[in-house]
Amino acid sequence: MPEPGTIQLEKTDAALDQPWNVIVRNDPINLMSYVTLVFMRVFGYPRERAERHMLEVHNQGRSLVWSGGREQAEHYVHQLHSYQLLAYMEQAL
Amino acid sequence: MIHLRVEPDGPKNIRITGIDPVVLDSLFALPEVLEQRDKPGVRDRLMPPPTESDEALNTDWQQNVTPDLRHLFVTASETVLRDLTGVKPDPQAKHLQQLNFPAEHLNAWLSALNQARLILGELHHVTEADMAITDFNLSEPHGLGLFRIHVLGYLLEHLVKLAGGHETSI
Repeated sequence: MPEPGTIQLEKTDAALDQPWNVIVRNDPINLMSYVTLVFMRVFGYPRERAERHMLEVHNQGRSLVWSGGREQAEHYVHQLHSYQLLAYMEQAL
Repeated sequence: MIHLRVEPDGPKNIRITGIDPVVLDSLFALPEVLEQRDKPGVRDRLMPPPTESDEALNTDWQQNVTPDLRHLFVTASETVLRDLTGVKPDPQAKHLQQLNFPAEHLNAWLSALNQARLILGELHHVTEADMAITDFNLSEPHGLGLFRIHVLGYLLEHLVKLAGGHETSI
């Protein structure tokens, strides 16, 4: 029994299921136009947003391209790997 | 002067014209480049783990996802290598070649050309600084590899443009 005046938090799956980030890293070979096309195809981003992420990858070495549930993150990483982009996922802090 | 052109040939085909001997040489090198996809460093680049630290997920991925990816890459490569058997003289100029392939093979071409560039990049440890080099020493493997990355990139750029056009017209 909790002490009077304290709140007991229930551990739920939802509480444990933090969002996952999908991140794409830079590599020296992939064409900028190719990376933009892949972001448009995989995420359905309009060209402007796809180019913004591509430039972030190019200039800053990586870009967080999507956040959400684990299963969908795995799907996106799989898709990005199928286009040979250096993508990985990590749990958001 | 005739330049490389990539354009739709009716609704169901794509035509590449103006293929000069330099581009042709890089295209005909594709079989030997692509068959190196399973070399240790190359394999890690083409089929990387999905996380940086979750070993359980990485192992599961390697067992269940990596074989599918490899199959996808091999299938795309085989499609392109079959298409390459259709290279024929370009009627515009004697020293040039042309090639027609089904539009539904476009994704296979994007995949195979990109694979080849990445494979060459890994085999020759190509860096960002290397990619800025414009004076290639073709008599040594690194220079030739770098040169082919750029030549294949030139063709890939044309195909990406075409694919992008298709994307926006859908």
